[in-house]
Amino acid sequence: MTDKISRRDFLKLAGVGAATTAVLTGCGPASRYVTREPYVKMPEYTYNGLSTYYATTCRECSAGCGLIVRTFQGRAIKVEGNQNNPVNLGKTCARGQISLHGLYNPDRVQNPGKHVRGENVFSSDKGAGFQELTWLDVTNIVADALTKNQPDEVAFLVGMAPDHLFDLVTDLTQTIGAPAPVRFGALGMFEARTTLMKAAQELFGQSGLPFFDIGNADLVISFGANFLETWLSPVAQTRGYSQLRKGKNGRRGYFVQLEPRMSQTGAKADEWVPLAAGSEAPVALAIGRLLAEARGISLPPAFANADVNAALSAAGVNPESIQHLVDLITASERPVFIPGGAALAQNNGLQTAEAVLALNAFVGNLGQSGGVFLSAIAPLADEYHRPASAKEMADFVGKLKSGRVKTLFIHGVNPVFELPKSLGFADALANVPQVISFATFPDETAVQADYVFPDHHSLESWGYQKVATGASSSVLSGSQPVIVPFFNTKSTVDVLLAAAQQAGGSLAAALPFKDEVEFLQSKLVNLINESDGFFSAPEINTFTAYFQQHGGWWKTTDDRVAPSSADVLNRSLNAAAARLDGDGEFFFVPFVSPILGEAGANKPWLQEVPDPTTTVMWNTWVEINPDTAAKLGVDNGDVVKVTSAYGEVEASVYKYPAIRPDTIAMPFGQGHTAYGQFAQGRGVNPADLFGASMNEAGDLAFAGLRVRVEKTGKTKPLARMESALGVYGFDAK
Amino acid sequence: MSTDLSVPVFTNQSEEELGGKWGMVIDQDLCTGCQACVAACSMENNIPFVGETDAAYGRSIQWIRIERFWQGSFPEVKMTPYQPMMCQQCHNAPCEPVCPVFASVHSASEDINLQVYNRCVGTRYCANNCPYQVRVFNWRDYADARVRPELVTLQNQLNPDVTVRRRGVMEKCTFCIQRIRHTEDVAKSEGREIRDGEVVPACAQACPADAIIFGRIDDPNSRVSQAGLASRGYHQLEELNLLPRVTYLKGESNNGSNG
Amino acid sequence: MIKKFFDALNQPLGRVGLLIAALVVLSGAVWGIAQAQKPPEQPIQFPHKLHVGLGIQCLYCHPGALRGPSPGLPTESKCWGCHQQLQRFADPTTPWPTELQKLRDYVQQGKPIQWIPVAQVPDFVHFVHRPHIAAGLNCETCHGDVSKMTVYENPQVINMGWCLNCHRAKTEDNSQNNPTNDPAVSAMLAEKRTKLTDCSTCHY
Repeated sequence: MTDKISRRDFLKLAGVGAATTAVLTGCGPASRYVTREPYVKMPEYTYNGLSTYYATTCRECSAGCGLIVRTFQGRAIKVEGNQNNPVNLGKTCARGQISLHGLYNPDRVQNPGKHVRGENVFSSDKGAGFQELTWLDVTNIVADALTKNQPDEVAFLVGMAPDHLFDLVTDLTQTIGAPAPVRFGALGMFEARTTLMKAAQELFGQSGLPFFDIGNADLVISFGANFLETWLSPVAQTRGYSQLRKGKNGRRGYFVQLEPRMSQTGAKADEWVPLAAGSEAPVALAIGRLLAEARGISLPPAFANADVNAALSAAGVNPESIQHLVDLITASERPVFIPGGAALAQNNGLQTAEAVLALNAFVGNLGQSGGVFLSAIAPLADEYHRPASAKEMADFVGKLKSGRVKTLFIHGVNPVFELPKSLGFADALANVPQVISFATFPDETAVQADYVFPDHHSLESWGYQKVATGASSSVLSGSQPVIVPFFNTKSTVDVLLAAAQQAGGSLAAALPFKDEVEFLQSKLVNLINESDGFFSAPEINTFTAYFQQHGGWWKTTDDRVAPSSADVLNRSLNAAAARLDGDGEFFFVPFVSPILGEAGANKPWLQEVPDPTTTVMWNTWVEINPDTAAKLGVDNGDVVKVTSAYGEVEASVYKYPAIRPDTIAMPFGQGHTAYGQFAQGRGVNPADLFGASMNEAGDLAFAGLRVRVEKTGKTKPLARMESALGVYGFDAK
Repeated sequence: MSTDLSVPVFTNQSEEELGGKWGMVIDQDLCTGCQACVAACSMENNIPFVGETDAAYGRSIQWIRIERFWQGSFPEVKMTPYQPMMCQQCHNAPCEPVCPVFASVHSASEDINLQVYNRCVGTRYCANNCPYQVRVFNWRDYADARVRPELVTLQNQLNPDVTVRRRGVMEKCTFCIQRIRHTEDVAKSEGREIRDGEVVPACAQACPADAIIFGRIDDPNSRVSQAGLASRGYHQLEELNLLPRVTYLKGESNNGSNG
Repeated sequence: MIKKFFDALNQPLGRVGLLIAALVVLSGAVWGIAQAQKPPEQPIQFPHKLHVGLGIQCLYCHPGALRGPSPGLPTESKCWGCHQQLQRFADPTTPWPTELQKLRDYVQQGKPIQWIPVAQVPDFVHFVHRPHIAAGLNCETCHGDVSKMTVYENPQVINMGWCLNCHRAKTEDNSQNNPTNDPAVSAMLAEKRTKLTDCSTCHY
């Protein structure tokens, strides 16, 4: 044996030789034999080897920022802001940047199909829960649903943004006599948009969404408005913040934030006043009273009910800090007060919004540079149509429960995840015989649908979006496809138009468009005679070409409306603190994750972008003051159970130094039970804790909860950017 | 034809008078910590996501990160101004002399630090020697769709102008050198010099607060040079005399504490 | 086991075995490298010879070289734009040559032709054609005399040494690049040399 090499050994050595060959070949060009596919027909505006750029609109939230997407050989490579779009002037947020991970997401619904309710399966090769259909079948199914049902048995629920689909569905429902479509989005709920508008309506007597001119103010006092995160139009407001800090004549603007938990916005404030949740209205009125006293003018009726001492004790802050605020306001030239976010999501939220708007009127900034305006109304809209409030959604759920709705169409919104469980949306779907979802992603609502007819991703779509706020001019932001649709999806507008033709009769006559672009042109044609647009065109085809090229159409004028200040201060306002729901020992402050928003959890890179204040990635956490955590006997990464009167969730503790000891906070955005591999089964949804109590404007009082916190004994460390020192262990605590 | 095999010689001379070429100014007073730069950088530079477990081990790959620190305790707690931290492109870079294979080298023409991926053998000496902790290592094949099937569709987004890095390679911020090269090429084809503000790295282009300014610091009239003159300007770890090319403007919010 | 293995190597027969093994490894390697240099099989045996012979300029089909990094491959509509005009094939009874039939099939089915790139650099190298053309280089300086090739083959091994040799030669301060020994030209050449030998010129 020792003297000779057996045949087997020889083969082994030969094997080594072959492996070497393989390795060496691997180094040569043969290993890089890739194929290159030239265009079959290259678009005439494309050059070989050079990028092509398309102007379109970001649809990650409803702000309507303009985008320029770089494409290369038919692939979308990079998203940049559109420098001309007045909303964002060339800038984007993290969500906009990572929208490409939505476009190329492996979990997208790739074909239309019939779906078994409750099955988290959206492809026929993954199980029997999904049976693929052709788009011709889809047209027939939708046409049948529109014609075989009584008009009031059809309901449309669409996303928050006022886009061309909303206009089409409005026309369609009007034609068949069905109820008008309902628009909803969780961001609208968390912003308390309805409350803000209702307060403006009551004080100014004008409807519209308030616009706060942060950039031209010299003092910003925000009552819980997270305007640098997700509130209204974050990119535009961040630009305003930047102008505030750069200042006029070199004088840097000052910023104070009043909120129980220091948000990302609060972290940028010069001063953070940690008042208790629900005490904003009395504090705002107390500031008004102290201001009147400081100025030596008679107390207006608006602030007559103010009780400074009661407000201070409700807020749990020391008297000096409020007096200091009054001194700041007295010394400033252009102060502005902003109500928003969790401050309005209390049962006295409307009073809070009115009290803060009254402060603006009292310092005389209504319609002034650096003050409060009503947002410009977008082109093609004679007034601002707001998305549904939680109250209106509750009514809608009631209608679904009654069994009157036979076919529900859902597009662009995920109410099963976004609405609080206590409203019972998922249960109400059981009483709807036919649920048709147009979901691009396999979300929780699509799981409950009978049919899923996936729409294109927004970057593959035509369209326009009316901009609600953010720019001083009236803006219609335009969309166009930047790539050929990646999967077998179809534009929902095209599906509805084809179904209308199939249905025939008055519906076909009312919607005689052969495709989405023709429908868009039928709306855009109303703009070609407008005089103050930044471009004009003699006829619609030229207009559409410019509209595509520039990414929309907007006016060159300042279209904001100055609110009427006549009666604002003559109404007496209620100074009571909010009533809180529940008997727990902690105030509960939920906030929308500044990175994920309400629907970003399915994009892997967005999951890995650290939260700005805690640096946590990929999970949900509970923010607890370190002193409180010590009392509860919990540390970073320990799992606690948070219980409200309506539900309970378990999540890991993050010891957050900038939160009141009597308050805990949780981000909204995770806790999906579907929505693709990157979102599903990750974190928890704090909306499970919400009750169904509303404020007077009909917005959900989600921040008016008291909760209990219990130790569970389990530990689940959080992935954090800041724990990089513990390379070989999760966290040294 | 002879090939010059002489290795570059590292001289520890402080060449203040050289003044550098490309530079950046970051205004911490304007930075809102929104992470748009982090997102933009990852999309431009083909930076892969690593997943929750590896992220928890501190292996997430971010060429720019937003730092913030806490001071004091409630109610006198302050967050230091958000501090975007990326490769400072030091003139006297500590990462360079420790690389045994010259993968971490100084660009003589651009005066920035380079990481030559095809030379890198993954010793990680450079990262250990970087006082800013801005070099990140590919612990796995994070960008390889053969290992991670979820990338099969996502990789359509990859930027063809930037190398996709493999396991065992160190990487870091490049000042978006691909954009510098592209703009240079465009300017040259039009027979002119690069204009101020023509080269915009991905982070500066995205920043909604306009807190990041990029340009030529050897041109005293450029926007970045002018911004860097502000009295709030400072360099990170100035005492090390590394001559970083990123100037920070001290943040004033939150009591003006720290830098 | 390991010891036995090394013992075996000390025996004469073991040494012969080792020699054979080494030869196998070496020949395998040589064969592998040779294989790696062979041009790949292309979907269409495109006759460059014929097209260049007809006087068609390189930049007619590869215009990207003038503008940017990649010269690009012509679209099928460009190929077909000429080929459908060819009177020779207008008569439906005339049989088409095989390779042209392939082209016609691609065009009729609307499918892209999956070419395999030959003159290519690795992922970590970013080569831009435009400045090379602008510097006055001809296509054949790097790509060889294409008018003599059917399917394109690289005339030399494309590696960094080959790139750098040229970059150095073009910037050397010698009588060819600086015939008048002008100090201004010397300075310019030195600056160019710094740029053209900088890692970041190609690697990023």
